Amino acid sequence: MKKWKKILHNCPYLIALSVTWLFLTAGGFLLVWYRDYEGMKWQDMLSNPFFAVVMEQEVQGKEAQPALTKNKEKTDVIKKDAANKEKNNDKKLNINIINEYLGESISGKQDSNSPDSPSKESGVPAIVLPDVQEVRETKGDMQVDEEGKGKLIEPPQIPETETSVSDQEVDAEEKEASDAAVVADDKGEKEVSGNKEGNKPGITRFIDYPPIETDSIYYSDAGKIALTTEYDYRKVNENYFTDAAFIGDSRTLGISDYAGLDADFYCENGMTIYKLFGEKGITWQKNGQKVNLSQVLQQKQYGKIYIMLGMNELGYGDTEKYLEQYRTVVAQIREWQPQAVIFILANLHVSREKNNMATEFNNVNINDKNAASASLADGVNVFYLDSNPLFTDNNGFLKSDLTFDGVHLYADNYESWKEFFMEHGVVKDGNGSTGNSIK
Amino acid sequence: MLFSSVGFLFRFLPVFMVIYLLVPEKYRNLILFSGSLIFYGVGEPYYVLLLVFSILVNYGISLLFFRPEKGQAVRRSILILALLFDFSFLFVFKYWDFAAQSINSLMKGTKIPVLSLVLPLGISFYTFQIVSYLLDCYRGKFEEKATFLEFATYVSMFPQLIAGPIVKYEEVAEQMKQRRLSAKKLENGMKLFTIGLGYKVLLANQMGTLWNTIMTAGAGNLSVPAAWLGAFAYSFQIYFDFWGYSLMAKGLGKMLGFKIPRNFNHPYVSKSVSEFWRRWHITLGRWFKEYLYIPLGGNRKGFVRTVLNLLVVWTLTGLWHGANWNFALWGITFFVLLSIEKSGIGKWLEKRKIIGHIYVILVIPVTWMVFAIEDISTLVSYLRNMIGIHSATAMVGMEQIFRYLKEYGVLFIFCILFSTPFPMRVYQEYKDKWYVVFVIVAVFWFSVYELMMGNNNPFLYFRF
Repeated sequence: MKKWKKILHNCPYLIALSVTWLFLTAGGFLLVWYRDYEGMKWQDMLSNPFFAVVMEQEVQGKEAQPALTKNKEKTDVIKKDAANKEKNNDKKLNINIINEYLGESISGKQDSNSPDSPSKESGVPAIVLPDVQEVRETKGDMQVDEEGKGKLIEPPQIPETETSVSDQEVDAEEKEASDAAVVADDKGEKEVSGNKEGNKPGITRFIDYPPIETDSIYYSDAGKIALTTEYDYRKVNENYFTDAAFIGDSRTLGISDYAGLDADFYCENGMTIYKLFGEKGITWQKNGQKVNLSQVLQQKQYGKIYIMLGMNELGYGDTEKYLEQYRTVVAQIREWQPQAVIFILANLHVSREKNNMATEFNNVNINDKNAASASLADGVNVFYLDSNPLFTDNNGFLKSDLTFDGVHLYADNYESWKEFFMEHGVVKDGNGSTGNSIK
Repeated sequence: MLFSSVGFLFRFLPVFMVIYLLVPEKYRNLILFSGSLIFYGVGEPYYVLLLVFSILVNYGISLLFFRPEKGQAVRRSILILALLFDFSFLFVFKYWDFAAQSINSLMKGTKIPVLSLVLPLGISFYTFQIVSYLLDCYRGKFEEKATFLEFATYVSMFPQLIAGPIVKYEEVAEQMKQRRLSAKKLENGMKLFTIGLGYKVLLANQMGTLWNTIMTAGAGNLSVPAAWLGAFAYSFQIYFDFWGYSLMAKGLGKMLGFKIPRNFNHPYVSKSVSEFWRRWHITLGRWFKEYLYIPLGGNRKGFVRTVLNLLVVWTLTGLWHGANWNFALWGITFFVLLSIEKSGIGKWLEKRKIIGHIYVILVIPVTWMVFAIEDISTLVSYLRNMIGIHSATAMVGMEQIFRYLKEYGVLFIFCILFSTPFPMRVYQEYKDKWYVVFVIVAVFWFSVYELMMGNNNPFLYFRF
């Protein structure tokens, strides 16, 4: 006994560590119990110390979920409506697709015979996929999770964009997956948006390919690659961006730093779609101060809002959750910024060296996330821009000589990205406020 | 398994320590040896066999040196064969591809196949340790041979297996036979380990992020201050990374009852490059001196031979760090600097404190750039930007630098502070006080927190 007393007396650090460890573990236990963690098994706990749970909360925070109005019945109707619609919208378009290597990266090229093949400017990398698949177009497509927790279900106020589909050949083929995904089109809000005259709504197409098996809690292979929304884009000059806001993670920070665009940049290393409106804020690059984005967007009106988020989400939550949150964010921005055109920017692929199928860090996951976010594009107020073709090789990998870490571009490549943005100006004829175009 | 991983901190180490402390003394080597194999095998399930094989063969060879009836010529040939055996493993795994590619590109027509083998973790370290033992046996340094278990434990013990220090057998020979464990040692070892963990996770990893950010912008796009900022960031990253690891090893050794030699002695406060190398990675410098430089004749065979010996030693020191031309160049850079200093300038510098410090602070980061940037054309463009010969407009200018400084300024202050001997002195003085214990507990959990963040979201570590 005396011996033990002596040992204890000599080991304040050991004791302090053990006590804190026990304390944190107990805390983790309590938290799990209190929050009634679904899907958390005791095996998970063994593989991850208990207090990880506590920390996970910290990572995620109780991120600001913009309180959207919930209207469940309405949503259900929309869901049904949408389900019917989806069938009609499905349309076949043959393309050659080569799924290069275990789907390590996929890039697509359209069959040029196809009458409706996406325009060249949607710029799919010269591709190469073996199986004949289809390009599907969706409009304001949204996935709704089963009986959803009822929270976010109101879809963004995306106006109906009938015209593009009406005269097209219809193929009522069922969607291959039996998941609960449905397409929702929000007919009711048709009149909301400011644009009426003239502009033909854009179409967002996807290249389909046979998905590969993935074993990850973070993603699955969507089996489709989103292409830039087809639209009558205008070439614009730099003044176009004076009323633009860019929102994103470190890659957007790169645009802020090196593209030389006179716009408002709200970006942060490690930013995620979940943290976007969080209380920790986001840095406004003009003065380097943290701002609360939700306040900013309620106070200042923008003509264009560019969003590029998804890299830091690759290893957090699954794609369904990502889409759910993305939809919430887009809907929220639409509400605050009814005049603004929203550009959802594709997350750039990573380089071959960085691409790792053994982790979440690969282009399949990035494509999965991109396809999810692209489904929010309606071609009227929300557009999806895929700039990957600018920087990727034939196999869809970020070119190695453009990057140090396989993720971010060298500073001197942002000029071409800027040009890409300038070539993809959306100028609505009925709306003078969207900036100057050069015709 | 890495020390700075949750698996090591909360699984391996506690379980191992409890078993180690509970078993009777005579089984401790066995436990340590098997524990080390598990430690190594978790990350390298196949190469652990290579390690065991290497241990078996080398132990067999070492026994031959304890047979007095063998003549000098026989001993010599055994030694040469043994060295060939050990270094051929190192060569195949570490240098084959480099050599093959170099020869293929130098001589048209030759097509030596590239093997693309994964480097077994720690092979450079344990090979050197084995070789030091063999050479010491050959020289008749030990009266008594080590038992197999002692030798196996010495080579494989997990505190120093992966990243050194390169321990000499004589330093641990007594402790292999008998080592005293005490609560005090355990306690102090844990503290030392935690300090090392903090250096690694809180200082080195963060600095690594800045270095990465700067390289991400592209070596060709940096303004002069940006290039220097990057060089300083990398200098701190590599120092705290390596020193942190060495401290963790020392701490673990202490917990197990070993006295592992110190590997760093505040190198950045040196006043000359020679002094820097007396303080940086001490056990490696010692190895090259004792087992290569002196056998080559050291400085006793005339001026030309001395210079030649230095050239060989430093080229190999460079290549030891990695199989690429930039590492050779890095070693040769030190050869040049040290040769210049040997002419008397070094002594002069060490006497003039301020000039000496400035000299080291300016020269060492440049050498680290040679070390860090493997691609020669990128390296050239980085070095050019450091001295202001820009080939294009520097895109990373003051605006970015201010932002980096805002984000990393405090970290720089900490790194500078911990590069001086002052904090360690304070620690030695007050390490038993409750507030120091409190700070170290905080460092531990903060480090774990940072690690977990990287665990939960591996990309947060890179922070896009």
